[in-house]
Amino acid sequence: MKGTELKYEDLEGLLKGLLDKKTVDCLILPHKVGNNVAYMMVTDKNKIEPPAPAIFAPSFSVNAANIVKGWTIKEKIGIVAKPCEIRAAIELIKLKQIDKESVLLISVDCSGAFKNQDYADHYGEIGDWVDSAKIEELKGKGIAIREACAICDHRLADVGDIGIARVDGEKVLVTGITDMGLDALSAAELSLEDKEIERKGEKEKIAADAKKKEEELAKISSMEELEEFLRDCIVCKNCRDMCPVCYCKECFFDQPLGNPVGGDLLNLSKLRGAVGVPANQLMYHLTRVYHVSTTCVGCGACEDACPKDIPLTRLYPVIAEKVQEIFEYVPGRDVEEPLPFVTYEEEELEDKLR
Amino acid sequence: MGEEAKEDFEPKIIGFTCNWCTYAGADLAGTSRKKYPPNVRLIRLMCSGRLDPMFVLKVLLNGADAVFIGGCHPGECHYIKGNFYARRRIAAIRTILKQFGLDNRVRAEWCSASEGDKFARIMKEMAEDIKKLGPNPMRGKIL
Ligand code: SF4
Ligand code: SF4
Ligand code: FES
Repeated sequence: MKGTELKYEDLEGLLKGLLDKKTVDCLILPHKVGNNVAYMMVTDKNKIEPPAPAIFAPSFSVNAANIVKGWTIKEKIGIVAKPCEIRAAIELIKLKQIDKESVLLISVDCSGAFKNQDYADHYGEIGDWVDSAKIEELKGKGIAIREACAICDHRLADVGDIGIARVDGEKVLVTGITDMGLDALSAAELSLEDKEIERKGEKEKIAADAKKKEEELAKISSMEELEEFLRDCIVCKNCRDMCPVCYCKECFFDQPLGNPVGGDLLNLSKLRGAVGVPANQLMYHLTRVYHVSTTCVGCGACEDACPKDIPLTRLYPVIAEKVQEIFEYVPGRDVEEPLPFVTYEEEELEDKLR
Repeated sequence: MGEEAKEDFEPKIIGFTCNWCTYAGADLAGTSRKKYPPNVRLIRLMCSGRLDPMFVLKVLLNGADAVFIGGCHPGECHYIKGNFYARRRIAAIRTILKQFGLDNRVRAEWCSASEGDKFARIMKEMAEDIKKLGPNPMRGKIL
């Protein structure tokens, strides 16, 4: 892998260079807002503030891929975001919701993140950056990272076109992952050398940790439990709207069959004697579980979006993982890898049909 | 299991069958007077690839006891790849339903137009299996 080590303050120059050299027309970038971080879309390089440590802040607001969903114009956008956001963008490329040539994906190391409101509320204790020891210590004080992050095993900046990994002290290792990424770094006049960035040990530790945390999660293992789990759901569909990989222009559940109103609703009630309202609560969730089953990156945006505090991480990413396993598919792993539902093997899966 | 004694329980099975194979296979079973239990209601699709897994969800949430899906043998789909895609979708939806203990109410089989015997046998097996399982827990729920 080719890359270069930079100091925190040199990252600013790199990002400005991407705009300056017209490698990208704009950048989506986290920046400090009070005690928190938020994304901005920047086109004027003079508006770029020192990117570190903001880009590493353990705070999750929106999945950045959701912002660029539908980016099918020719102007090029660069996105600096956490691995789950970059992986979602890669799925959106495969789903033809983002034009591959129009995005430069830059992933940054992630430690696991707090809900952005929790982060702002406890900024004093959390600070700009956390590691696993600090996460445990904060947990003891009742300040916990998001459940989605606790079970996430893709925290390293090894996806997308460019990776920004944290190294000891206030330094980063910037690597070009794809040709597009390498070209961008060369255009920004970085001198690249061969770098060892396997981090195998770290990866294994994260995976083992994540697995343990996932086993500790409460399971939903029957329809009765699912009903109970969704009891408070008001079918507002925020979880869908904030999901980066849910992308239908017109969702089934916004159409008359999926969202019956007036006479349609009355007819349904007459047909069955009684119908739960808002209608289709279970159908909505089970359908969505299926629709995102191969592409869910487990970012937890659905759970953050739920006004009823339903811990949706226990539903969506947990079940999606089981489906992804049968296809040996990892969403966002490789932009060239076909989506499981648009390909097949002539001999497969016969043991999963009956 | 509700008030229904298991023995009296007659499962309701909804079958989605491909026009070119299993639907014709069912027809053959009928015309050649093969006996099979009358628990299944067939819905004809032009190909197993037309099966949207939402059909499976809807059937189960509306309280039917099981879903049968019949398609052409792999390699024999009239649209070449329909059943290969169907197989992936069915495997996925069954994997999801497995989490909630409903996967054993969904069964897919490849059954050609000449396999009237096979169709009758599967229907018999399914009726027996689902009788043993008892009614769908979603039956009669206010959803
Ligand atoms: S889901 Fe993973 S990559 Fe995304 S914010 Fe959480 S730990 Fe980071
Ligand atoms: S965001 Fe929460 S309340 Fe709204 S539809 Fe999703 S689960 Fe239901
Ligand atoms: S035509 Fe029968 S499964 Fe496709």
